[in-house]
Amino acid sequence: MDVNTKFVISAEDEKFFGKMGSFGIPKFDKIMNGGVPRGFTILALTDPGAGAELFAKQFLSPCEEPENTVYISTNETSDEIMQVYDKYNWLNELQIISIGSEYNERVLGKELQASKYRLEGFNMSDIQRLSQTRFVDDETEDFLTEMANSIIERGPFFRCAIENLDFFFQRYEKSRVISMLRMMQAHTQMAKGILLLCVSTDSLDTSIEQEMSSIADMVLTFGVHMIGSEFETRMIVRKFRNAPENLSVMSYRVTPEEGITPETVQRIA
Amino acid sequence: MIELDQKIAEQLSEVGLNSSIQVRCGTSNSFTVTASVIHPLVNVFEMGGVYISASRGANEIIEGLESLGIPTGNIQFLDMVSSGILGGTNTEHNNISYIDSPIMLESALLRTMYQMRRTLSERSFVILDSVNALAIYNEERMLAEYLHTFVNTFRQREVLSVIINVPDQTPPGVLANLDLYCTDLIDRGQIVIN
Amino acid sequence: MNHMESAAGYVRDRCVTGIHGLDEILRGGIPYGSTVLAAGSCGCGKTTLGLEFLVRGAENGEACAHFTATEPSVKLLDNVRQYDFFDMQMVDKGLINVFDMDVLYSWLGLTKATFDLGDIHALIKAITDIVNTIGVTRLVIDSVTTLCYKIQSEQLIRDFLFTLGKKLSTLGCTTLLISEITSEKSGVNMWSSFGVEEAISDGIIVLGDVERMGHLLRFLQVVKMRGTSHSRAKYAVELTSIGVMLTPMLKWGSSS
Repeated sequence: MDVNTKFVISAEDEKFFGKMGSFGIPKFDKIMNGGVPRGFTILALTDPGAGAELFAKQFLSPCEEPENTVYISTNETSDEIMQVYDKYNWLNELQIISIGSEYNERVLGKELQASKYRLEGFNMSDIQRLSQTRFVDDETEDFLTEMANSIIERGPFFRCAIENLDFFFQRYEKSRVISMLRMMQAHTQMAKGILLLCVSTDSLDTSIEQEMSSIADMVLTFGVHMIGSEFETRMIVRKFRNAPENLSVMSYRVTPEEGITPETVQRIA
Repeated sequence: MIELDQKIAEQLSEVGLNSSIQVRCGTSNSFTVTASVIHPLVNVFEMGGVYISASRGANEIIEGLESLGIPTGNIQFLDMVSSGILGGTNTEHNNISYIDSPIMLESALLRTMYQMRRTLSERSFVILDSVNALAIYNEERMLAEYLHTFVNTFRQREVLSVIINVPDQTPPGVLANLDLYCTDLIDRGQIVIN
Repeated sequence: MNHMESAAGYVRDRCVTGIHGLDEILRGGIPYGSTVLAAGSCGCGKTTLGLEFLVRGAENGEACAHFTATEPSVKLLDNVRQYDFFDMQMVDKGLINVFDMDVLYSWLGLTKATFDLGDIHALIKAITDIVNTIGVTRLVIDSVTTLCYKIQSEQLIRDFLFTLGKKLSTLGCTTLLISEITSEKSGVNMWSSFGVEEAISDGIIVLGDVERMGHLLRFLQVVKMRGTSHSRAKYAVELTSIGVMLTPMLKWGSSS
């Protein structure tokens, strides 16, 4: 796997895409003083159910170049994702890679078949096929490499969200996952793309979280807090490379019209 | 010019397929005697067979026989000598196979049986050339045991066996065994010098 | 007439191996349904022996199976083509069925590095299913050593071999288990890598090398065969294109 180091970025594209891209949330763009710089890798650490999966979809809604916009999901089907885009009337011409579905088909399917053979045994046609099969069918169950490839193949000014990385941490060596993330970050920087990586906080140990935070250019956390008898969803910008003034804490709502909207509170002196 | 011994041909016409013939020769006439044995077997009785050579390389034997008008196409040669010589196994002839060493006596027996199964000739012979050459590498007791097995194996299979030896140079124990177990003797072992 | 047959008046059915010399050594062949260990160090001809055992059965119209754990079946079939006794048509027609153990493990979901009791039972069931469905009467596992490396304990190996042997015998299948041993082994459990195979097996055929003045000569020796008398002599082996050939080894000629 080679990180593509040869990009031809035309002046026209530079002008069109500019130095910053939108988060897909206008209010958030304003709070972040313009949006997200091209080349940024964003790490979204989330409590389960805190809304990061919706953020990831909304993040891709600007969809400046549909063919260069990719949503990689590990636990939703293409249809489920499209439903969300339709619900909020977001541009839905982006590419969707549903690793979860592929995993179910290939890996879980194989496991089910193995259970069947163990329980019911082989019939004649199974045996004939077995005696003619000369190689173990391991047509890349390496979803980690597939995922990384789908980022590294992207051209300049791509936009991508991976929701979420838990799938990979559960199945592959953590060091290997981190290694892939570094490659993806390097490519994103060089291609002036924007990459969003979502991961659940409860699936990570501290050292991995720290390592990922150091790789990322921006770190967001999504949390759910009890205030009295109500829930409050909160977003914290913990890191923003070269712009510490962007560090902030904000609560947000989800509305049918806008999706995730930060709530800004004005102090009245 | 080598003259073949016609009396050997006459003697051979009287033996059966299950015979084992001891052929005695002297140091200076061994090739002539050997050729005189092979000539009637191949040209008169139209037999094929296996020639196990521990005395010299098979290439040399083939060239010698061919020069006397004895065709070697129906003879499979087991060469026990040439593997010990660097480059000795380079040959154009495709009826030679090699055994690593004259000590691998069982290999020679098995490869002979293998060749016979492959060629499936009704009337076959096996020539062992020679006891003296094998005696250089093998203990007397083992050689005696081997020859006993050799004779019995081919007699049972109705394959004519011909064992060449120079009696002056054969260990007495081995010579005594050969005398006992072979059914026939062709003796050209003493040379008369006038 | 062997002693055991004449005493009981009963002639046990034999699996005639068809291998030159071996049936004579075994006084007719391997008793049907036996599990025989073919143990030897590398290069001694175990795989060739196993393959010829199957080919001779296939020539008689018997259904045969070869489970290869040591080398991929592609390589095995490539190597075996050099032998005149082997005909690829036997594989094409399903008389000789070649199975890769790796593929079987994958199909059964046996992906862990070591097998537990459940995995072993799954493997036994799969093998006996295959034998039963096709009607296999000759089976070779090459090698049982490689297979047993994946089993955790000696007890489990014992269970595996015992259960497998029993089931295959019930199905009328004569089995050759190829076992890899190091030539330096001596004393107790000489022919088992895991200390148990030789005790479980009905028969043991040993293949090895003897040294004679610096040269290595292949030999075969039947150490044990339940249900029949047999020669216990050492036999010289030649691996020829028409199969394995045997002749008694000269008594005075070896240093081991």
